[in-house]
Amino acid sequence: MANKKKFKVTFNMLLFLIWILIFIGIAATSPVFLSPSYLLNVMLRNIIEIGMVALPMTLIIIMGGIDLSVGNIMILAATLGGLAAVTYGSAVAVIVTILTGLVCGLINGLVIVKAKISPMVTTLATMYLYLGISRGISKGSSIYSFDFATTMGTTSLFGIPVQVWIYVLLVVIFTVLLAKTTLGRKLYSIGLNENATQYAGIDVGKIKIAMYIICGLICALASFIWLGRFTSIKFDAGTNFNMKVITIVVLGGTSINGGIGSMIGTIIGTLIIATLNSGLTVMNIPIDVQTIVHGSVLIVALIAYAVVNSRAKKKKLIKIEAAPKQVASM
Amino acid sequence: MKKKLLQKIIAAAMVCILMVAAVAGCSKTETTPQGEQGGKETTGGKSDGKLVIAMLPKFKGENYFDACKVGAQEAADELGITLLYDGPPQDQATNQKQVDILEGWIAQKVDAIIVSPNDPTAIAPTLKKAQEAGIKVITFDADAQKDARDLFVNQITADAAGKGLLEAAARELKAKGYGADKKANIALVSGSGTDANQTAWEAAIEKYLATDEYNFMVIKNRETDVYYPGTDETKVNAECATLISRMGPGEDQIQAAIGLSSMATPALGAQYQSASQKPDANAITLTGLATPNALKTYIKDEENPMNVGMLWNCMDLGYLAVQVAYQLKNGDITTESTSINAGRLGTKEIVDRECVLGDALIFDKTNVDNFNY
Amino acid sequence: MVQEKKRTASFLTKEFYLAIFLLAVLIFLWIFAKGFYTINNIMSILNTYSYTLIAAIGMNMIIITSNIDVSTGALVSVVCLASAAIGKLGLPFPVLLPAAMVMGIILSTINGLFITKTKIPAIVATLATTQIFQGVLPLTTEGSIYDLPATFTWLAFEAKLFGIVPASVLMCLIITVIALFFMKYSRFSKKLYAIGNNQHSARLAGINVEKTIVITYAIAGALFGVTAIIIATAGQRVTTTMGSGLEMTLIASVILGGTSTAGGSGKVIGTVIGALILCIVSPAINYLGISPNWSDAIKGAIIMISVVVGAFQQVKKKRVIQIPKEVLNNGK
Repeated sequence: MANKKKFKVTFNMLLFLIWILIFIGIAATSPVFLSPSYLLNVMLRNIIEIGMVALPMTLIIIMGGIDLSVGNIMILAATLGGLAAVTYGSAVAVIVTILTGLVCGLINGLVIVKAKISPMVTTLATMYLYLGISRGISKGSSIYSFDFATTMGTTSLFGIPVQVWIYVLLVVIFTVLLAKTTLGRKLYSIGLNENATQYAGIDVGKIKIAMYIICGLICALASFIWLGRFTSIKFDAGTNFNMKVITIVVLGGTSINGGIGSMIGTIIGTLIIATLNSGLTVMNIPIDVQTIVHGSVLIVALIAYAVVNSRAKKKKLIKIEAAPKQVASM
Repeated sequence: MKKKLLQKIIAAAMVCILMVAAVAGCSKTETTPQGEQGGKETTGGKSDGKLVIAMLPKFKGENYFDACKVGAQEAADELGITLLYDGPPQDQATNQKQVDILEGWIAQKVDAIIVSPNDPTAIAPTLKKAQEAGIKVITFDADAQKDARDLFVNQITADAAGKGLLEAAARELKAKGYGADKKANIALVSGSGTDANQTAWEAAIEKYLATDEYNFMVIKNRETDVYYPGTDETKVNAECATLISRMGPGEDQIQAAIGLSSMATPALGAQYQSASQKPDANAITLTGLATPNALKTYIKDEENPMNVGMLWNCMDLGYLAVQVAYQLKNGDITTESTSINAGRLGTKEIVDRECVLGDALIFDKTNVDNFNY
Repeated sequence: MVQEKKRTASFLTKEFYLAIFLLAVLIFLWIFAKGFYTINNIMSILNTYSYTLIAAIGMNMIIITSNIDVSTGALVSVVCLASAAIGKLGLPFPVLLPAAMVMGIILSTINGLFITKTKIPAIVATLATTQIFQGVLPLTTEGSIYDLPATFTWLAFEAKLFGIVPASVLMCLIITVIALFFMKYSRFSKKLYAIGNNQHSARLAGINVEKTIVITYAIAGALFGVTAIIIATAGQRVTTTMGSGLEMTLIASVILGGTSTAGGSGKVIGTVIGALILCIVSPAINYLGISPNWSDAIKGAIIMISVVVGAFQQVKKKRVIQIPKEVLNNGK
């Protein structure tokens, strides 16, 4: 048991090391980067929406699912909310946005669980669907922000942007949820062996639907921040959002096959991507080179992960029954 | 147990090596672009006291903005300043990417920013932030929200653009027998639907369509006859193919197509060229905005109904934008100024915080070879 | 044997429903969309359809092995630009086509090797290579390549069968026919299904799983190359993002055609119909007078309805029973 614990820490620490390396590298070449206002107001603010959605995405991927429609749920929620705000005011808009997130997540969950269609196919279809609806309803033009969203996107609390506070709060909630609750253990269990979990008397379907709904809700929350930050939104703003979220989760060492992963990893992954995003920009590195750097970092992390994973897989096969215990140890 | 530990160490070592390689690779590439910019610039932007002006196009990798960059670089060399140039890739021409780049520049405290926004309102908060940081904000090509920029360098007034395009189409159509007693249906291929310049041109075109001179041309159904394919090449091509197949002499067909983006117009030409049963060239016409290079083949082809293209001098646009940014920062002009002495371009007027480059450049088969951009 | 026949029959009905749906749409368009059936429109749809289908057949093979490739769009962009760089020299199409195919094979094989050697799940691995492809591209050329010679645009502008049918359609037809036979009768295709159904038992049955997957990616790469050259030669100008977003269209076509992303099932004919349905949507709604803003929503709804209906036919259960049989057949 002790050995396993050491191993877990090693992987996350490795990731942490990568982050520190990148961070120091950038800070050394570009002193501007280190200013607290840049770190808080630019680096963190720019990643918040993606980082936020990466949290429930980690849960979904750990239980062996995937959601390719998150960016589009976010845009659809913002679109409907923004339109509602024009005629009914801010309060109704908030309700509409949250409801949209909830319904979108519910649709994903229901189709995956009840029709037994693979999560990838389902969310690919809903990706088109949500994108198409927001494009059709907005007629391709911009949707403007409303009071509540503006507050969420632009105000600061004790000198720190309010969305950073929200993110930190969510990080705490999700980390505890995954590591310390039975629900978290059930998620690992589903990811490792769904049938076995079902036979163990756990209502897998219900948990799955709940996770997709949570994901939808977080997307709705992110949509307030996004809308507030930019004052307006367009249907294509979610381009690449989905893949970015998945990249972060995978970078954090969560296995796309399910059953393995941790919230800490995702958080470090978020920090790595945030540092790269804002750091390379401040160094005046052209966007194309930035893309290559992102890709390389992902590959490095993946290879590191693959090396440890070859052993983790063996463990996985043996430990199906002991899965909850293994989780508890981290 | 020991073996496992060894494996672990090897794995860690491997990762570290890869990591270092990646960092080394990225730091190597990092020096190249800066070297290209003349090696004048160090991090933070202005250790040697030179002004730093940053230019952000709607997207990179397409010849329209590339030509703007050439002119901007020319002005930068002339004035002895450093020019930074970056933008989103063509298929990700969204506001989010532009904001990412802008934030980096604001943190470095560049002296002026020249931007062509993809979305005039969504970029406004970031531009305002730049202004608060003491950076001069100039828009070029497309405008942003008026209160979020100091000056707008406009290539052409929307009025002139709309009129020029309609005139080009009208002349061709009249030559082909259309007029007051024989109406013509026209279609527009625009950009993404939120770009300030294209929206303004559309409005101007609609305005002129209502006048007696041009009212023989009609946009029958705004929903289907104005296309917004965005900046995605394959999508532009596919939608233009659909449009070409809807063209012809019939009343329920379309007689003239006008491209409003530098991608749409060449796509119209290409799709006509590759159509299986080409619509009768004597009954239809194609025209629009694009760089001369992109239309050369189609304009020179006798059988292609695309005979005239329109644009402005992109290089001059980039040149003027940098001149304006430089002089605004230096205090040679203010936002209240009414004119600017723009180097080789001579004196240009500034009206209502808007500096207009000049008239449209109309090119046809007689002069298309004279341009190289 | 009897069981085998039954399976074929039940599979046929699935594609049969899709075909019926397609037919219904076509009839609907015949009645309501005036001018839809002009030769011009049909040919331009067929041209789009050709390059979509050619790549979709490749994607179908990859998905059958229960892998996936999300880097296709970036890959096609790279090949487009590289072909244009060669085409600028005035080389004729017979040189450009194999060149594009070779480039496609090389890039796609990199994907294949990356996946098999590191054991990283395909979706993640190709996500990483997407970024590499996308990033390398603009570095190699400064922006777009334009003013390409007539030899380059020959395929789109000149090459017409009987003066009407674009040559790309002919290429697509040939590839489709070969694919139909290949995926039905060749031993290699049986290996693909076996791997998709259960990699471990396929390995136990004596299949060299890694090699097969790499070859699959290579074949798909060649097809992506063909697609790239059709897209690139559509005009005398090639920019850096010609293939962007293509991968999602391809995956959607394959899924709509009834191939399960879990692997091990799916037929070429399904993809043929699926791709056609998706290619018709955009032009169709334009002719029907609906704003193009709704096209994505309609595509999404079609995919959604189709997979949900498909799921309720419970093909899955049958598949599970047949794993050992497939594998046994192929082992020998």
